[in-house]
Amino acid sequence: MTVPTLAPEGHLLIVGAGLAGYHTARGVRAHGHTGPITIIGEEHRAAYDRPALSKAYLTGAAAEEDLLLDDPEDPLDVTWVSGVGVVGLRAEPLGVHTDDGAFHTADAVVITTGASALSLPSLDSSEDRGGCAPARPYVLRNMEDALALRDTPLHGADVVVVGGGFLALESAATCVARGAGSVTVAAGEEDPGARRLGSPVARAIRSAHEARGIRFAPGARAQGLRRRPPSDGGPHYEVLLGDGGVLPADIVICAIGAEPRTEWLLDSFVRLCTQSGAVLCDDTGATSVPGVYAAGDCAQWASHSSGLRPVGHWQEAFEEAAVVAAALTGSDPVPLQEPYFWSDQFDLRIQGVGRIHLADDVTVVDGTSDGGDLLVHYSRDGVNVGILGINRLRDVTRWRRGSRIRPASAEAPGPTPVSA
Amino acid sequence: MQVAFRACSVQDLTAGEGLRIDSVSPPIAVFLTEEGSVHAVDDTCTHQDASLAAGWVEDCRVECPLHESTFSLLSGAVDQPPAKRPVRVHHVTLHGDDVLVELSQEAPNLPPGMGTV
Ligand SMILES: Cc1cc2nc3c(=O)[nH]c(=O)nc-3n(C[C@H](O)[C@H](O)[C@H](O)COP(=O)(O)OP(=O)(O)OC[C@H]3O[C@@H](n4cnc5c(N)ncnc54)[C@H](O)[C@@H]3O)c2cc1C
Repeated sequence: MTVPTLAPEGHLLIVGAGLAGYHTARGVRAHGHTGPITIIGEEHRAAYDRPALSKAYLTGAAAEEDLLLDDPEDPLDVTWVSGVGVVGLRAEPLGVHTDDGAFHTADAVVITTGASALSLPSLDSSEDRGGCAPARPYVLRNMEDALALRDTPLHGADVVVVGGGFLALESAATCVARGAGSVTVAAGEEDPGARRLGSPVARAIRSAHEARGIRFAPGARAQGLRRRPPSDGGPHYEVLLGDGGVLPADIVICAIGAEPRTEWLLDSFVRLCTQSGAVLCDDTGATSVPGVYAAGDCAQWASHSSGLRPVGHWQEAFEEAAVVAAALTGSDPVPLQEPYFWSDQFDLRIQGVGRIHLADDVTVVDGTSDGGDLLVHYSRDGVNVGILGINRLRDVTRWRRGSRIRPASAEAPGPTPVSA
Repeated sequence: MQVAFRACSVQDLTAGEGLRIDSVSPPIAVFLTEEGSVHAVDDTCTHQDASLAAGWVEDCRVECPLHESTFSLLSGAVDQPPAKRPVRVHHVTLHGDDVLVELSQEAPNLPPGMGTV
């Protein structure tokens, strides 16, 4: 047992009512914390899980209540402060300032403010717009964003999706399901994902999307978005590509990445990464300020900084919350497992596990790029470091099981030392 | 009075893994634990459409192959979100190598978008 940072009856304050915040509170309670827990979140709704926002929530298959993190029938013993933004952190006395002018003291603070979606610049001048608001694409980060897109009729519409990551491809897939007239993905690379996941995987994903009628724009990066003159007729917007190409669109969805929500920490003593703006932490989530931890999409732990782990996946936020909960309560340390992510696009369930981002080689071990059954291995210096499967749940499970890191406490006791 | 049906043979099972039986609706999963016991529960995770038969079995629990929720093979109870509701447990008897399953009469907890079949 390590020394707890937070006394069992102390006040834990969590900033950001998302996945990492919820699971930190849950973990701390499971470790026996009896003191008050406050979770402050700026959204005016109960904490929810985000992955369905680019998938089942957009098609209407999942509703808001299906996404709730807390169980209404067995709620966590936590005080939720909703609709209030946190604007600053103070180290002495420890606490946070909120946008309603209040100061909340705490015995420990966990920062779980996630990230905000990056957007495409609006390229139209105010004259072009003729009094209209600048052209804005749909983005997907919060339920509000997803609700706006879900409530927009897509039937027959020409949709352009900017971005080549999973969020972009997932939302493109939902547009087809919702009857869009055309869906074009401007991914900024020929086969989206090829650089990150290897060509066989990128080809498999691309061919599945093309088989459903999705088109892929040339690999040039999108520069921005603007309104088309009404006199031209047709779609109201256009996306400009770096090679001079123009993609007319009724609807533009932008999924080009996210940046950590740490602007409110700029005046604090919490050290941020100069490049990404993420909160810098050690591998227990501790920041540069005593008693202040960070987890999830807003944080960059030592393993991320050194390139050993990727940032920005559900599993990462989930596991970090468990690590922080253990550290805060002085419970046995919880090891981080091999990185893991999944994505659902049409009937493809893509799962990746391991150090895929470190691989220097990718090998197809089974299935084909066209068969919806691809299984690839990643290796570095000849050593297998990861696996990705498309509809290969059992194979991925086996790999994860084989690479499972056991907490020290769960290991079988070693041989009893014999005293001399 | 419900009668048991033959779901599979013990020979079809691999210790520590599950077998999906989709001749019934909703499909069920039959598991052989490393300790040698045989269990049957609903195959579909109550959070999202994922086959628990492809999940990881340990200490008489199965972990969903997608996320972190684990279900007890004895009671069906779930330990942590994202899933919140239990899976149904079906009564298993062994007759020689035959795995006989008597389906639960409770209503299944299917994930959103799957509806009752
Ligand atoms: C649309 C979408 C789909 C995804 N799909 C997948 C997937 O299929 N697979 C996968 O592995 N990962 C997926 N992810 C990633 C995963 O959801 C995130 O990694 C995860 O949500 C991170 O959790 P978090 O708690 O760090 O941040 P969040 O869940 O974003 O929570 C942060 C919360 O903090 C609040 N907040 C921010 N600033 C403040 C402030 N100053 N004051 C008060 N509150 C504040 C925010 O409003 C938000 O509610 C997806 C993400 C999105 C957006």
